[in-house]
Amino acid sequence: MNAAFLQVSGLSKSFGGNQAVRDISFEVGDGEIVGLIGPNGAGKTTCFNLITGFYTPDAGRVRFRDEDVTALKPYQMARRGIVRSFQKTNILKSLTVFENVLAGQYLVAKQPLWRTFFPGRVVRKAESEARERAAEIVRTMGLDARMNAPASLLACGELRLLEVALALAARPAILMLDEPAAGLNSHEAARFGEVLRTLPGRWVKSVLIVEHNMGLVMGVCDRVVVMNFGRKLADGRPAQVQADARVIEAYLGSAVAEGA
Amino acid sequence: MKIERNVLIAVLMLAALLGAVLRDQYMLHLAIMVMFYAVLATSLNLVVGYVGEFSLGHTAFLGMGAYTAALCSTHLGWPMWLTLPAGGIVAGITGLLVGAITLRLQGPFFVIVTLAFAEVLRITAANWIALTNGPMGLTGIAQPGWLAGSGTTDAKVFYYYVALLLLGVAVYLSYRFVYSNAGRAAVAVRENRYVAQSVGIRPLTYALVALGLGAFLTGMAGGFYAHYISFVGPEVFGFPFMLSMIIMVLVGGKGTLLGPLLGALLVTFLEEYLREAKELRLSIFGLAVMAVVLFMPRGLMGFLLRRREQRAAAVVATVARPEGVA
Repeated sequence: MNAAFLQVSGLSKSFGGNQAVRDISFEVGDGEIVGLIGPNGAGKTTCFNLITGFYTPDAGRVRFRDEDVTALKPYQMARRGIVRSFQKTNILKSLTVFENVLAGQYLVAKQPLWRTFFPGRVVRKAESEARERAAEIVRTMGLDARMNAPASLLACGELRLLEVALALAARPAILMLDEPAAGLNSHEAARFGEVLRTLPGRWVKSVLIVEHNMGLVMGVCDRVVVMNFGRKLADGRPAQVQADARVIEAYLGSAVAEGA
Repeated sequence: MKIERNVLIAVLMLAALLGAVLRDQYMLHLAIMVMFYAVLATSLNLVVGYVGEFSLGHTAFLGMGAYTAALCSTHLGWPMWLTLPAGGIVAGITGLLVGAITLRLQGPFFVIVTLAFAEVLRITAANWIALTNGPMGLTGIAQPGWLAGSGTTDAKVFYYYVALLLLGVAVYLSYRFVYSNAGRAAVAVRENRYVAQSVGIRPLTYALVALGLGAFLTGMAGGFYAHYISFVGPEVFGFPFMLSMIIMVLVGGKGTLLGPLLGALLVTFLEEYLREAKELRLSIFGLAVMAVVLFMPRGLMGFLLRRREQRAAAVVATVARPEGVA
């Protein structure tokens, strides 16, 4: 495995009496696609929220590129290259697909404030580059036909793709996707998997993905981390994890207990 | 973007031409008020339309600008081309201070705190008699010297072009803000705070920029008002001004640059011609606002834009259909 890129150690969070995440540790290497899976309520999304600063962890540390980034604000995380998508589709609804991706390039196109009011050649160049790149990202995600359609008119599957496009626009080092294939049909999911595989090295360095579509996870991920009831159950190559007795039990129930 | 810019330029040029031919004092006065209100509505729209927070305290900045200009003029003897920017800067700084506190709140909390802020300033202006002369207000705000020798029509034409210049500045700065990376960031925050943060936008920053800019423009307009009317009393902090601004932004269409201009034009003329109706006037406005909010939630401009979008949607639908058939 490559040197640790994103390193999560001993992460814990409880809401009232409910310990949603307990002592979770894992790593994402440079160039890796890592899947975070587990039954519903296992604490995957909470884990995402802890890493990206939407929640503050009770304990544990998040290190990214040799820097402690624990409990920074979400926008500070984004500035360091940790960008996420959301489980419940979150896009800029009243804007077009192109405008969504353009807005996503905020950090890339950022200018000193006075330049907002007195733009010169520098700003015009940055703006036209941002527009070109926005169009390129839209094409990469296969949304070209919908480039100028308002996001509110997109179908469910297209919305998921737009969400990933929006996250990509922020030029992340590590892209964190929360159930990006939810609502995609099997054909769309397969196509999405293909797109996903082209991302590391070209658009991002690494990908961390929470997903229930096992076909997609096992086909795309280099490594899989399995969670259950807030704890880490297993960590390894897809084939290893699939053969792990504890993982099978978590998903299908215990043969001995249930079968009797 | 291109269309909006060209229409804005055309409107400003038309206004410049109108000033050259208009000699009726009453019409000149109305035109000046339209432009004055257009600046107010444009600046309120930056906060309401682009940041998406409803400020009920925009009159605070109008009053700060008016009083600053009036005091600089009467006490320090500053000329108008200095007092207007001074009013704008003082109001802008006030905006940043108020925003730094209130913009951490959202929704109804923001509305209430801004409203309270304007009200506190109104009461202060009415009671700090040593500085503001209390409810009597400040009178005798100096007019530019050379105006004394010329007729009242010439004075009106002069103020017409000052108002137009002010409107030009307001429209230019708003246009630059809205179609910049900063403006896109503000809209992203308006549309979805979570997405905005996850792509690296700090929500407070751009809400603050929009409020500061809006306050600056409103403050300049306040300074202009002080010189034009040549009187400033505590009522510049009052709710009636706020009401006019809100109606203009809502009727014209929030979140568009042309909307507030259209709203200012419509509402100023309506207010004038509904004078006959006296108290009924406010009721009629109330009904009009309710009708707009219910049937045209994005105002007149939004209504026009939606027809364009619907055509686009029809195109998208016809593109999508062949796949469904095949």
